[in-house]
Formats: sequence, C-alpha cells, structure tokens
Amino acid sequence: MAAAALRPAILRRIRLSPSPPLALAAAASQPHALARWLARPMSSHDAHLTREEVVDRVLDVLKSHPKVDPSKVTPEAHFEKDLGLDSLDTVEVVMAIEEEFKLEIPDKEADKIDSLPLAIEYVANHPMAG
Amino acid sequence: MASRPKLSGIQKQVLTLYRGFLRTARLKDPEERLRIESVVSAEFRDNARNVDRRNFVYIEYLLRRGKRQLEQLKNPDITGLATLEVKK
Repeated sequence: MAAAALRPAILRRIRLSPSPPLALAAAASQPHALARWLARPMSSHDAHLTREEVVDRVLDVLKSHPKVDPSKVTPEAHFEKDLGLDSLDTVEVVMAIEEEFKLEIPDKEADKIDSLPLAIEYVANHPMAG
Repeated sequence: MASRPKLSGIQKQVLTLYRGFLRTARLKDPEERLRIESVVSAEFRDNARNVDRRNFVYIEYLLRRGKRQLEQLKNPDITGLATLEVKK
C-alpha cells in the first residue's frame, strides 16, 4: 500500500527529541545538575508533578473557595465535616481541582471525592495531571 | 446530617445535573460563563433551601426541566441564560 511505503519516509523526517533541549543545555552547564537530570525517575509522567506540588495546589484550590475558611484547610480535611461544605460546594470544589490540573474527572469518580486525601490521591495517580 | 449518609439516587441526579451546567458554562466566553455560573448556582441553592426534600414529584419535575435547559445551553449558538423573575 502507498501508506506503507510512505511510512519510512515520514518517520525519517520526524525527529523526536526525548527531552526539552533547554533542560539539556542548562544541565550541561552544571555537571551535578546533569547527573541529577539523568537520574530522574523514568516514567511517562515524571516531568512535572511531585506529590508535594499536588498537595500544595489542591490546598490552594480549597483555600480560594469562597465558603472555605483557609485556616481550616489541611491535607487531611474532609470537605463536609471539617470545612463545612455542602454537596453543591463539593461539586464546585472538585470541578475547580479538575480545572487546576487540566483533568476531566468522570461523574462516577467525582461523586466519590469528598475529602482532601481522596482528591490528592486521585490527582497524584492521574497520568494526565498537569 | 451525622456521619455522611450515602447520597440517594435523586440527590446524585441533582449533583450530576449541577456538574453538567458547570461543565457547559466553561465552554462559553469568560464573562458569560460567570453569569451562567451565578444564575445556575443561585437556582440550585434556592431550590435546595426551599423545596421540601420529600416532594419527589416536584424534584423530578425540576430535574426534567433542568436537563432540558442544559441541553439547550449545550448548543454552541446559545451564549447565555436569561431568567425572568416572577414576583410572588
């Protein structure tokens, strides 16, 4: 088939760079940084999100909800019992988390998320969270 | 409410509808989105406060009406919601 014949030609033209060139350039100027960069965990979603980052950003989303008292927000807090949110607020909060991490959480999953630990867990385990 | 009871089927439907409105609002212009969110949120909160939770017939009616409105709002040509206040 024509498509099969085209394939190698196309593949030859496409160059995949396995890393952002900038990171390499920066790393090259600092030998230790390069070693650290080479030793980074190799997974499909290593690049951006650490667990601390997920926790921080989820906490920030909660703190910025108009009904939440920011001083009560902890990584262990339950939306309803600790933060006084009702079920409509909970929908809003989970949607805000979706938006923060550019995710779409299916209804069935979203219904189960009623606390910070569950929200953090969900985002941390999501390969597409960014 | 002591130790969060499981949500009933009809409560879940209401929350799913609310989520649907918020998702659809995201697709509109930022200004319109804010207006839709405030109208929709006010409507849901008002009903949550004022509708007797055992009045299933009425809640089912509101659900049906809401779903119809959501379908209309999903149309990309529809840019927003308008509400008419009927004074009681």
